[in-house]
This record gives sequence, structure tokens and C-alpha cells, in this order.
Amino acid sequence: MPERKVTIEIFDPPMCCASGVCGPTIDPAVLDIHEAILKLKKEHDGQVGIERYLLSQQPAKFMQQSEVIARLKAVGIPALPITLVNGRLVKERAYPSYTELQAWIAEG
Amino acid sequence: METQYLFFSGKGGVGKTTMACATAVREAEKGRKTLIITTDPASNLADVFEQAIGHHIAPIAGVPNLWAMEIDPDKATEEYRDRVLAPFRAAMPADVLQVLEEQFRSPCTTELASFDRFVDFMDRGDFDLIIFDTAPTGHTIRLLELPVDWSKHIAESAKGSGQTCLGPVQAIQDSKAKYDRAIALLGDPRRTRFIFVLQPEQTAIFETERSAVELRRLGIESQELIVNGFLPAEVCEQPFFKKRYEMQQRHLAEIRQRFAVPLRQMALRDTEVKGVAHLRDVGRELDGQPRVTAAATGSPETAESRLSMRQPDSGELMDLLTPRNGHGKAIFFSGKGGVGKTSVSCITAVHLARQGFKTLLLTTDPAAHIGQVLDTPVGDRPAPLPDLPTLWTAKIDARQATEEYKARILEQARGRHSEEMLLALREELESPCTEEMAAFDKFTAYADSDDYEIVVFDTAPTGHTLRLLELPFDYSHQVELLVTTTQEGGALRAETRSRFDRIIARLKDPTRSVFAFVVYPESTPVVEAHRASQDLAAAGIPTQLVVANQIIPPEQATNGYFRKRRAMQAKYLAEIERRFHVPVAMLPLMDTEIRGLAAVDRAAALLFDQTDQDRRLGAA
Repeated sequence: MPERKVTIEIFDPPMCCASGVCGPTIDPAVLDIHEAILKLKKEHDGQVGIERYLLSQQPAKFMQQSEVIARLKAVGIPALPITLVNGRLVKERAYPSYTELQAWIAEG
Repeated sequence: METQYLFFSGKGGVGKTTMACATAVREAEKGRKTLIITTDPASNLADVFEQAIGHHIAPIAGVPNLWAMEIDPDKATEEYRDRVLAPFRAAMPADVLQVLEEQFRSPCTTELASFDRFVDFMDRGDFDLIIFDTAPTGHTIRLLELPVDWSKHIAESAKGSGQTCLGPVQAIQDSKAKYDRAIALLGDPRRTRFIFVLQPEQTAIFETERSAVELRRLGIESQELIVNGFLPAEVCEQPFFKKRYEMQQRHLAEIRQRFAVPLRQMALRDTEVKGVAHLRDVGRELDGQPRVTAAATGSPETAESRLSMRQPDSGELMDLLTPRNGHGKAIFFSGKGGVGKTSVSCITAVHLARQGFKTLLLTTDPAAHIGQVLDTPVGDRPAPLPDLPTLWTAKIDARQATEEYKARILEQARGRHSEEMLLALREELESPCTEEMAAFDKFTAYADSDDYEIVVFDTAPTGHTLRLLELPFDYSHQVELLVTTTQEGGALRAETRSRFDRIIARLKDPTRSVFAFVVYPESTPVVEAHRASQDLAAAGIPTQLVVANQIIPPEQATNGYFRKRRAMQAKYLAEIERRFHVPVAMLPLMDTEIRGLAAVDRAAALLFDQTDQDRRLGAA
């Protein structure tokens, strides 16, 4: 268990809804990350904050993170999804797996 | 004095806009500051008032106290988008901004933006009376259901993930309060009245009854009827029109018996109701003033009108409507609701099925009027007609489609994911966008199918039809934007892409798809159909046929009233020819409604033998 609360932020690629369920086909990767988050939230009750942000719905969140803006300016949309752990960029261009998330939480 | 609201509802083409405008003129001239608004994407307020109006509040010339506005769904979306995006223009890189803008092309955003604009008007206090000339029934009901659904959806999402299809919950709490106020106003009989406009005919009764029940379910009890389009008794001395007159009176008796609400009647005029003077006249009559009788205004000396246009012969029609080069044919009947699109679809499908083609007649109309015309129940799965096994019928039921779509998505996720995840997924699927998606999904499945030689679509009214048909274009765009991060996702994406490309190619190929418009030869229907046809053309889809319905047979136009109406029809048939440049098939006015296979066969004999029509209808 980490000493202090870990905050994970995932900046999603463009989707209709947060879950990605709002489309003609559903990307399995979107369901997998949803599942991983549900599992981690349960396992680390209260110790881990995991938030997801959508470009189309919370563009302000993207603007507030200089690192996210910088990657968007450098790479553009393909940089997404971007994952930050306690404000530090840990992954881009793909969703993290459950194991990766678990490891980052353990590191604190 | 608090603002009062009047909603005019009813199938398109029944005279709803005329009744709404006449009421607006009457009330404004009584001294009430009045605003009339249309939310119909195929609005015709401008045609009725004979002046430009547009997507802003415009004063009506010649009527102090009266203003009008046409809500343009595209503009509403644009305004909504600009409002939301304003803060990001400076900071975000160009491709990100472009993605943000593209997101607003999603169908849910359009729906939401129109609705948002509509609710804004329920929030203002600067008019005594606001009249909504609403979109056709099915669409109206959906629009009205939205506040209920959205606010429920918002409340539920606030408990859960904090996300909705609308955007983050924090950002739309304001909207929730706004939608709740709109719902409360809609249900308050002192503030809001619903007026159904219908013609004295069978299908209108079913449709109105259905809408009335739906409104009650939403807590809206204050309802009234205007039965429009009566033939005046004094002009119906011929047996043909006497029969129609009596049919209308029978339907009126049935309407009185079925609906225990205030009812007014309005006679069919011998000319079109256009311009303030005519509206004032109708408004007086609606307000209980005596009618100027038709016999007194009809000019008996009006000459016999000759109809002349390029009519397709039977061979040309069959060439157009039957499969070519081993490909199936999809036939789309478009046009304003209430112009007989359903009858024409049934007539065409029955005729083609009788020639031995395996034909599917498909309706997107939730009320499935094709079932009433063919006298058979129509379900969600195609089934053959017992008396004509080559003809299959089915309806796309949005609610049913939604359930199937949800079940399919959940089934795919089952086994891969935890119960908790499935629960979250189920919640996500409760979004109002799902319904739109599901109906579309169903539509593409049929459009893509090779199970039938001919598929006849009895499409929903014009604006809605276009939206539905635009969906493949929008979605292919959305899919392009989808960023997938797994192999599996990539494969799914490619499959979806190719499915959409196939459908688009099929819709655009004139040998595989036929778009036909059904119109009454009257001003508004022709203008609207032409506008819709131009929209289709912009999407790369040509119109290939026009069916002009309810042509008054020359031998029946024996008095001034009907000669005047026939002269009006001749004028607008010429107008159709001038605007569309395609063959025009005529379907004469019948003295009874087309119900049952035998009646459909009789009508098919007339529609598919236009040579005979030439003689019968006195064309050059």
C-alpha cells in the first residue's frame, strides 16, 4: 500500500461518451481500461484517485496540464490516450494495462 | 401576465403551420405580443408568411405584435459549438481544435443543440404568447421526451461516473434546472396547451390517438383538436365528392367519439392559404366567426385545366424500380408526412411483388401505417404477407432496436468482463444517444442486405429522413476519428468503415437506389420536397421520380370550387416539372381511402399505367 494518495489521470482520445459505448462499434480497449479502473478502485479503496477526461467534454482539463498540451502540440491527437501519475506523464498513444497501473500505484 | 404557450402538433401536411400562423395573426391582432417558432427542420413559415424569416426573431410585415423565428438545427449546433469552444481557440493546437469541432457533428449534439435552443424560448418572459409550430408528431414526442430522459440521465450520472453524453455533469447542472422548468411548464394547463391538427381520415385518427396518449404519459393533459380540410357540403353535389364528403363526416363522428377534448373544424379553401390576408380569414374562423361559404367565392367560369408534363410510361417506371445488373434495388419514398407516402410505398411494393420480385416493404414510421394500408400486422422482423408471399413487411422500431443493440453489446462484453463492469456498461447504454445509434444500426443492416430483390422504404418525414440518411456520412467521419489502440479495435474499425462505405456507395448509385418524392401539387409540399431533394443532391443522391398524389380527375371538377382547386394543381404540377426535371407519375384522388390489398391493387393499376392517366386526367 502506498503511503500517500496516488492520482492517476487518463486523457482519452476523441469518443462520443466517456465509456466509448456510444458508437457504432465499441473498441475493446476502451472496455478493458474501464474494467481495470473499476477493479483498482475497489482494491485500493480511497487510496487511489483515477480520473478520465474527454477532449470533447472536458477540454479545460487538457489545457490545465502543461505536459498534455505540450504533447498535443508536438504530436497532435495521436498522442492520446495520455496517462499521468501524480502529474507525471507515464504513457501515451495507448491505454495502460491493469498490471501497469498496479505497478505505478505501488511505486506511489 | 405570464407567457402562455401553444404547441401545434400533428402529421406534416395537415395544415398545422397554417393553423399555427392563423392563430398567431389572430392573437397578435387582438393585441397580444406573439412569437411563432418552428422547430421543424423542413420549416415553411417563410412560405406561409411570404417573407424571409430565418434563424432569428423577425417581425412579420403587416402584423404589429407578431414575430417569427425558424430554428435551424445546423445553426443551433453551430451556436452551441461556438459557445462551448470559445475559451479553447487560442490555446489548443489546430488539429485538436478540429477534432473538437468535428465532435459537434455527432447526431446527439445536433439533437441536443436544437432542443437547447427550443427550451431557451420557454424561459423568456418578453412575449404574451409563444406559439410553437412543432416538428411532425413522432419527432415532437421525442423532443419532448428528451427533457425527461436527459434530466434523469444527468441525475443518474451525477451519482455514477460523473459523465454523460452531454458533457461533464458540473457543466450541465444549469441545463438540468432549465430542462426541469421546461417540463413543469409543459405540464401546466394554465400556461401550456397542445393543439393537434388532423385531417378527417383514418390514419390521422390512429396517429393523433397515439400522440395524445404519449403526451399524457409525459404529464401533458391540456389537449385540443383542430380537424382541418373539410370539403364544404355546398360544393359536393357530385357523387364522387359527395362520397368523400360523407367519408370525412364519418371520420369526424369517430373523432368526436374517441377524443373527449375541445374540437374545432376548418373547411378546405378553394385557394391556398398564403399571406396575412388569408391567414386573418382562417384565424377569424378558428376563433368562432362564421365562414364565408365556398360557393360564394368560387368562380364557376374557371376554365378546364389541362395538365401537361413528362409522365413515365409503364416500361420506364418498371425499368426505374426493378433490379438491374444482378443487384438489388432500394427504393426510398421521401416527402412531407401526410402526402400519401405510405400509400404510394404500399402500392409500389405490392405491384412489384405481384410481378414476382421478392420485395421487402420497410417503414421507419413508429406508427407503422403500412400495416393499416395493407390490413396486416407489421412487426420488427420481416414477415411475408399471407395473401402475397413475395411481399415482406417490417418496421424499424427505435425502442425495440435499442433493446436489441444493448443486448448485443452486453452479450459481447459478457465473459470478458466482470459483473460490476457489465452493470456499469448497462448504465452507460441508458444514454439517449443509444436510441439514435440503434435505429441507425438497424437501418444500415437492411440497406446492406441482399436478402431481397427490392427493398421499399416508407421513410419518415423529410427532415428526419435526411438526418437518418446523413448518419452514414456522419458516422463514417466519426469512425475515422476513432483512435484505436489494439489490434482487435483496429479490425473492428476497418470493418465498420467498409460497411459505411458500402452503404454510402449503394445510396449514391442510381442503378441500385431510387429516391422518389411524393407530393401534393400544392405550394408548400412542392417547395419542401424540392428543398429536401437539393439536400439529397448535395449528398450526391439524385432524385429520380416524383409521384404527384391526389390529382382531382377532370370529369369530377364540375363546379367552380373544384375547378379552382384543379387549376391550382395544374399550376403546381408545372412547378414540379420546372423544379425537378424528372418524370412525374400521377396518382388520382380516390373517393375512398386505400385500405386492403384489393384497394391497393386498384390504385397500382392507375399509378403504373400513366398512359391511361393521360386520357383520364386530360393531359396534353
